[in-house]
Amino acid sequence: MLAISGCGSSADSGHSNKEVEVWVKDFHIKAPKHVPAGDVTFEMYNRGPDHHELIVIRDDGRRLPLRGDDLTVDEDGLGPAVAGALEPEPPGEHLVSMRLKRGDYWLICNMAGHYMGGMRTRVVAG
Amino acid sequence: MPGRSFEPFATRGRRVVVAILITFAAVSVLSVVLSTSTTSRSKHRAAVIQVAARQRTLAERYVKETLLVHAGGRADPRTTGDTMLKSADALIDGGVAPSVEGDDDEMKIARTTDPDFHAQAVQGRRLVHDLTGTGSALLADRDVTEVPLTARERISAKDPVKRLQILGALTSNVSLNAAANAAGTTDRNVNDLIRKQVILGGAGLVASLLLAWALIAATRRQTAHFRSLVSSSTDLVLVFGEEGCRYASDSVARTLGRESAELHGRGFEECVHPDDREAVRMATGRGVPHRLPFRVQNRFDEWRHLEAHVTDLRDDRHVSGVVLNARDVTERVELEEQLTKQAFEDSLTGLANRALFRDRVDQALVRSERSRAPLAMLLLDLDGFKQVNDTLGHDAGDRMLEELARRFEGVKRAGDTLARLGGDEFAMLLEGTGESQAIALAERLLESLVEPVTIPGRELPIGASIGVVLHHGGPGVSEELIRHADLAMYAAKEGGRGRYMVFHPDMARELGEAVGLERELREALKEGEFGVHYQPEINPASGQIVGVEALARWHSPSRGLVMPDDFIPIAESSGLIHEIGSEVLRRACEQTVLWIRDGVVEPDFVTWVNLSGRQLSTHGIAKRVQKVLAEAGLDPHFLGLEVTETSMVGADMLGHNVRAELEELHDQGVRIAVDDFGTGFSSMEHLRRFPVDLIKVDRSFTQTVEHDTRDAAITAHLASLAHALGLQAVAEGIETHGQLELVQELGCDLVQGYLYARPMAAGDITRMLLEREHEHQPQSSELIG
Repeated sequence: MLAISGCGSSADSGHSNKEVEVWVKDFHIKAPKHVPAGDVTFEMYNRGPDHHELIVIRDDGRRLPLRGDDLTVDEDGLGPAVAGALEPEPPGEHLVSMRLKRGDYWLICNMAGHYMGGMRTRVVAG
Repeated sequence: MPGRSFEPFATRGRRVVVAILITFAAVSVLSVVLSTSTTSRSKHRAAVIQVAARQRTLAERYVKETLLVHAGGRADPRTTGDTMLKSADALIDGGVAPSVEGDDDEMKIARTTDPDFHAQAVQGRRLVHDLTGTGSALLADRDVTEVPLTARERISAKDPVKRLQILGALTSNVSLNAAANAAGTTDRNVNDLIRKQVILGGAGLVASLLLAWALIAATRRQTAHFRSLVSSSTDLVLVFGEEGCRYASDSVARTLGRESAELHGRGFEECVHPDDREAVRMATGRGVPHRLPFRVQNRFDEWRHLEAHVTDLRDDRHVSGVVLNARDVTERVELEEQLTKQAFEDSLTGLANRALFRDRVDQALVRSERSRAPLAMLLLDLDGFKQVNDTLGHDAGDRMLEELARRFEGVKRAGDTLARLGGDEFAMLLEGTGESQAIALAERLLESLVEPVTIPGRELPIGASIGVVLHHGGPGVSEELIRHADLAMYAAKEGGRGRYMVFHPDMARELGEAVGLERELREALKEGEFGVHYQPEINPASGQIVGVEALARWHSPSRGLVMPDDFIPIAESSGLIHEIGSEVLRRACEQTVLWIRDGVVEPDFVTWVNLSGRQLSTHGIAKRVQKVLAEAGLDPHFLGLEVTETSMVGADMLGHNVRAELEELHDQGVRIAVDDFGTGFSSMEHLRRFPVDLIKVDRSFTQTVEHDTRDAAITAHLASLAHALGLQAVAEGIETHGQLELVQELGCDLVQGYLYARPMAAGDITRMLLEREHEHQPQSSELIG
């Protein structure tokens, strides 16, 4: 099991973190509608078959900007809105911890075509 | 041997080595199989990776070609789509992935068993279907949203181009990940292979080390074993190269009492006997002969006899030398030498024995035949040696023989062969010698016996008779030569002993007679041809028969009646006198018992029996006489023994206590007479010392007493001597009345002779005794017959 910290994520996947199970597979992300705010550890279970990412992006009500390819979200352009991310991972269980403020968040996979192909969902932290 | 026994390399060591070799081989085979398998799988993987990665490119190309055609350009998206579909099928189920023009050749790939890859391939195929379906709808101007999507993608975009691009990206993405997955698996396989190869390589290294260890250990054990065998073996092992001795086993060092290092190079050769050195040099240099006896000197300067087997291994690169396997056979050789010596040497005197002498004679005759040179042989027989042996024992006899051998050695010349043929018989072979030299040597031999032989506490006179035979050169036969020497020696004995005789052909005939007589005597004893005659002893004063002298007679079927003078000398020399004497004594005693029983004899009657010198000089004469008396049941007073003065004194001189034996008999009543008195020592001392009752004046005096005044004086002297010692004197050989009267006048108490009676059979004596009871008058001999 590998813990990867993304932006704003805590290096510590510590004991006080609240755990959130996220199930991903081609081409769905299944997560609870409400997740805890504060220090959260996402447990991503990739059921494949393809590799997948888990990127947590604060939803400020605007559409997520796309890169020039019109297929992937421009994460760099989002800046601090990205709360945390798991890089592309093969099928299996993966962890990532981050601190979530109260509010809405997009959970997406930003591999080429995956976001556009349906791998996105919105959760509410807090 | 208790405990661990040695197992040679061929069994246990070989098992160990074989086990290690099998392990090593198994490791190697496993390594090859693993490498081959992994290489094959990697090759397969590479094709899979290539095809999977190509799907990404094809997906992107398909999108571009579709959009180009959609924009009015020219392209062939359908072919690209078909290629993608077939490749997707091949990635799942195995098979041939088609070629792409200007890019790849068609590739054959196997069905993939990895579940993750399989899932991705299946997903990839769904996406390819969705992509190509959407592409086809776009080009056909159909509503792309109507195209059913099979990969569970949820595309919200309605724009057909957008949808096509999204599906292209999804297809590209999953294909890339599938290729990455396959590559990852290959990496793992390669890493596995490397790990396993490292393990197998380590195992191979360990097996190699074990193998080397086992081989070295086995070789060491084997070397130690054979070194131990060679070292502890009593066999001597030597290896010779061009530089000389290269190896000498411990047993060589032990045998020679030297360090092995001393023997290396030319060291061993220096220990070899100079006479054997050339042969040893030849053997150690050239490997011949294959069997070699030689001698070596140990550090104590003793010569040891070795017997070596020579093996030429100069061509054997493991040895490159000549190997000597030798055994110390000194004991055997010495034993053989001793046996040879015993076979040809007289153990008592160290002189040649009969066998060697015979061989020397044979060789000398061969040489004589060739060179015509003469040769002579002397055969020497001691006189009276038997008495020495009989009276003083064999040790004294042996000492005498040793002493005489030394004296004869002093006489013989260099080149002569002196031998002891057995008993008291010596022989000498003189090559290139004529009669005069042979006689001179015989005389010197006799001279060497003049000095008595001294054995502890006693001086013993000894004589010898020598037969000389001459061979005048030319062919000859050893048996004949020896036989002639024997006859000459016998003639010397007959001739009076203490002399030599040279063989001449007549001797063979004369002595053949004597030898024949001896043989007949033996037969006569067996056949009981001996009889006893008796001659009366008369008291001339009363005419009474006071006794008889028993005399042996031989009634030979071929010779008739043989007189004692004719056979007694042969009986004496042959030793048969013992048996004849015993027979006469026995029969005389038995006859006397009969006369006593018949009452024809007076109580002082005596039957006189002669004892020869040889009988007298034999131990235990008293016991033998007593035994005969007891067996016959005769009172000893009726028996008288006649002994000659010479034999009595001779036996006494030899140390035999004759006097004691005669005294023992005399004490029991046996009378003793000295026969032939006057012819020998005539010693009053002897008469005084010995228990004598009577002397018999020899007939040589009494028969001439009428005509020879000296004999008459001697007879008178002997009679008076007897009377002086309280003895009686008997005159023998009285044949005339004149002799009778004269001897009576001269003092003889009793007479014996033909005037009264010849020796006669017992029956005649009986009759005479009966007549004499009535008539005590002398009769003439012719009346008696």
